[in-house]
Amino acid sequence: MADGILFEERGIPAAAVITDAFRRTADAMARTQGLEGYPYVAIPHPISSLSPEELRVRAEQALPEVVRLLQEEVAG
Amino acid sequence: MSQGVRTEPTREAVREARAAIEYCYEQGWTDGLPVVPPAEEFVEEFLAQVDRDPEEVIFAQEHLGRKCTVRLAAANAVMAGCRPEHFPVVLAMLEAVRDLPVSRGLFQSTTGQAVLVVINGPVRQELGFNGTDNVFSPGDRANATVGRALRLVVMNAFGIRPHTFDQSTQGTPAKYSFCIAENEEESPWEPLHVERGFREDESTVTVAWARGTMPVEQRDSKQPEHILLNIADSMSYGGGYFPSPRGHGSIVVMGPEHAQLIAEAGWSKHRVRAFLWEHFGRRAGELRRLAKAGGLDPDLPDEAFVRFAHAPEAITLIVAGARNAGVSTVCPTFVWQTVTRRIPARRM
Repeated sequence: MADGILFEERGIPAAAVITDAFRRTADAMARTQGLEGYPYVAIPHPISSLSPEELRVRAEQALPEVVRLLQEEVAG
Repeated sequence: MSQGVRTEPTREAVREARAAIEYCYEQGWTDGLPVVPPAEEFVEEFLAQVDRDPEEVIFAQEHLGRKCTVRLAAANAVMAGCRPEHFPVVLAMLEAVRDLPVSRGLFQSTTGQAVLVVINGPVRQELGFNGTDNVFSPGDRANATVGRALRLVVMNAFGIRPHTFDQSTQGTPAKYSFCIAENEEESPWEPLHVERGFREDESTVTVAWARGTMPVEQRDSKQPEHILLNIADSMSYGGGYFPSPRGHGSIVVMGPEHAQLIAEAGWSKHRVRAFLWEHFGRRAGELRRLAKAGGLDPDLPDEAFVRFAHAPEAITLIVAGARNAGVSTVCPTFVWQTVTRRIPARRM
């Protein structure tokens, strides 16, 4: 989250991807960086136990949202 | 107490103390236990112990936009229950933690590592740090409060608290306070700080990432190999294995009985560490059975032994505890580096 926000501050489009177990930390980081409500993509947890094929499915499911975030102007 | 005239003012003072403690809870400054209210005059007493600019930044977490100044460290040491003379140790500890590898990320890690703090040298007696019986347990103010000061700095100066930035899946009670002294008097070998190039009469603080404590029982043999194989077996438990490009480490806190039996058999500290390193690991087949073989060559035979650490230096060996039974402790970690810093003399 911090990296995504810092990229955007420097004019580099970014899309933060987390698993849904980390929502609370992601929201806290957005507040800390002064961008409450900064949007991110939350995919189902867990992922570290997935096979490469299962991980690819998750990535494909998340892709449209990632593209949308990369195209969106960030307020703040 | 026998002088009845003082009863009422004392009761009033105690009520005020309780209100001050409750105020600290309301501010979100505690680790769940009560803290000493960090009144300005208490903080000044602590600052008077060191020759440092109170506004000097000693440790920052840039990604959070947070930093710890000398003054903030003093306020948290007050809250932890330290005495003013503990403050030079607290500062040396914080600077050592700053210099640990991955000091940015591991306070927030899901693994939930704590920082083990080890005190060496004359400061142990001067300030009452315990290195003997119950060395990891509650009961000694210096150990309890100096270790706790680090946790309060992490929570208050950096804002890394449970339910937000501290993402520990389960954590460890070692996060409250994890501070021991080495039992140099009953150790048959040179103490940790001397091994690292400091003089015996210098005092140091050593810090290491650690995941808690795992006791090792071996009361049935005097043979060094038996004792050390039990310790190595505990170092090598499968669930603690974490394939890491930096390599695993381990901290061994050997009880004096074990250390003395091994030393009487003629073993040097170096030989002990080399032996532990040889046996620190698992067979490839066992790692495959545990689905922990991700980084392994698929052609490696099942019976091949996979060492977890890159060299004997990845094992930190300390002697602490009581000489009353054959018990040692392994503190698992996957970050093998540790940092030792000299504790400066107090300003008189």
